[in-house]
Amino acid sequence: MNTLRQKIREALIVAGTILVALLVLRQSSRNPGEVSTLDRGILTVITPAQSLLSSVARGIGGFAGRYMDLVHVRAENESLRSDNSRLRAELFEAKRAAAESLRYQRMLGLRDAVSAETLVARVVAIDASPYFRVARVQLDRGEGMVKRGMPVLTPEGVVGRVNRVAGDSSDILLSVDPRSAIDVIIPRTGGRGILKGKPGENGYRAAVEYLMHGEQAKQGDVVVTTGLGGFPRDVPVGKVSRVVKSPAGLYQEVEVTPDVDFARLSEVLVVVAPAPTPDPEVGKKALAPSRGLAVYK
Amino acid sequence: MRSVATLLIALFLLLLQSTVLEFAPVHMVTPALGLIVVLHLGLSEKWTASSAALVAFATGYLFDLVSGAPRGVHAFVFVLMSLFARAVAARLAVRGLVFKAATSFMASLVAAVLVVVIRAQVSHEGGYGGLRQAPFEALLTGLFGPPVLWLLARVDGRLDPARLRVGLARRKPRTLGGLPPR
Repeated sequence: MNTLRQKIREALIVAGTILVALLVLRQSSRNPGEVSTLDRGILTVITPAQSLLSSVARGIGGFAGRYMDLVHVRAENESLRSDNSRLRAELFEAKRAAAESLRYQRMLGLRDAVSAETLVARVVAIDASPYFRVARVQLDRGEGMVKRGMPVLTPEGVVGRVNRVAGDSSDILLSVDPRSAIDVIIPRTGGRGILKGKPGENGYRAAVEYLMHGEQAKQGDVVVTTGLGGFPRDVPVGKVSRVVKSPAGLYQEVEVTPDVDFARLSEVLVVVAPAPTPDPEVGKKALAPSRGLAVYK
Repeated sequence: MRSVATLLIALFLLLLQSTVLEFAPVHMVTPALGLIVVLHLGLSEKWTASSAALVAFATGYLFDLVSGAPRGVHAFVFVLMSLFARAVAARLAVRGLVFKAATSFMASLVAAVLVVVIRAQVSHEGGYGGLRQAPFEALLTGLFGPPVLWLLARVDGRLDPARLRVGLARRKPRTLGGLPPR
């Protein structure tokens, strides 16, 4: 009797758990960007841990690289090993610092080039599941300014859009995720379409959909943003890697390889406010007699 | 206590999974470490079906948050996988390195199919693509399966409520006058 009661209890708990999971799934499919207080609390704990692990991983990666260098030097010349290893370590550090500095410079350059208001964020995790192309970023400042749907860029090009925000961390839906949709143009042909991630591909690939047949794209064509949907205009997206020629249908099938190396993302720019629209009065004001700097414009 | 410890291990493994790409020679695919925890819950006779399902749900929910997947996808799949593992354990004795690796491999394949099917239902844009990565992910999961299962079995042994009640979970038995027990 007792065993039967226990079995019924077990079955009820399992069924209840499945039901709760289904309810969470249903709620999440209705409001994908919604973050509950519980989620926010968990993410507040998780994100610093992810950030720490990511830093440790990068550190170990660098250490392993230096170790490999050391082994090579030892084999080559035993007597010069210590000097060589020190110099190599210094060189490695200097190179790393230079690369980091270059990255920041490029990021600042992009920031200056993009007239929109932007925030710098650090990537703490990427692609935990191969079935969802998502990166998690952490902001150093500007918490509360990031909203769902905001574009995310790097100096190489478009990264994606903000999908979920919790405190100072956000999930970025990469442009190679099938759920992503970005308005793009091929400048050479003037053909416009929607960039979507390609499911079922091992690499980071995307495809331009709804590209009319009349504007024939070819391999190597550059793909950039149109300026719609919050993205700044003419930001590189990638290059056409394959054009499937099918006479049937209205649209061409074009595959795109992104310019951004998603596996090596470390910092990104979040566009928190679009570029200000040009003031039509500016031209008139310049023509009118004025004092100060405006005279020299 | 044991559930909390298992959840903490699961969280650590999930965080490792989300940052392990830095080391991975095969980009795009990582071993499904969270799934191995769920597999252990289902395979171990020390866990009841209900507690396994609850911890699997929590692990899946955490993975949804860590991976940026729609909430509930992995929570649901992991609960089903804990039941799958239970069904496997009822028919087969999953012991030994090869068998554990094979079970992890199979579980990863089944979970991948479930995730892709549910993803297609949640967001239609995704379709049923992405399964080409499943064998690679399963291979890595199979590789990591035996050591992670061994680690979890050790933790289970230390924190088994029945053993804790009678004081058998201690590392070293008490001795009289420093003499080793006979």
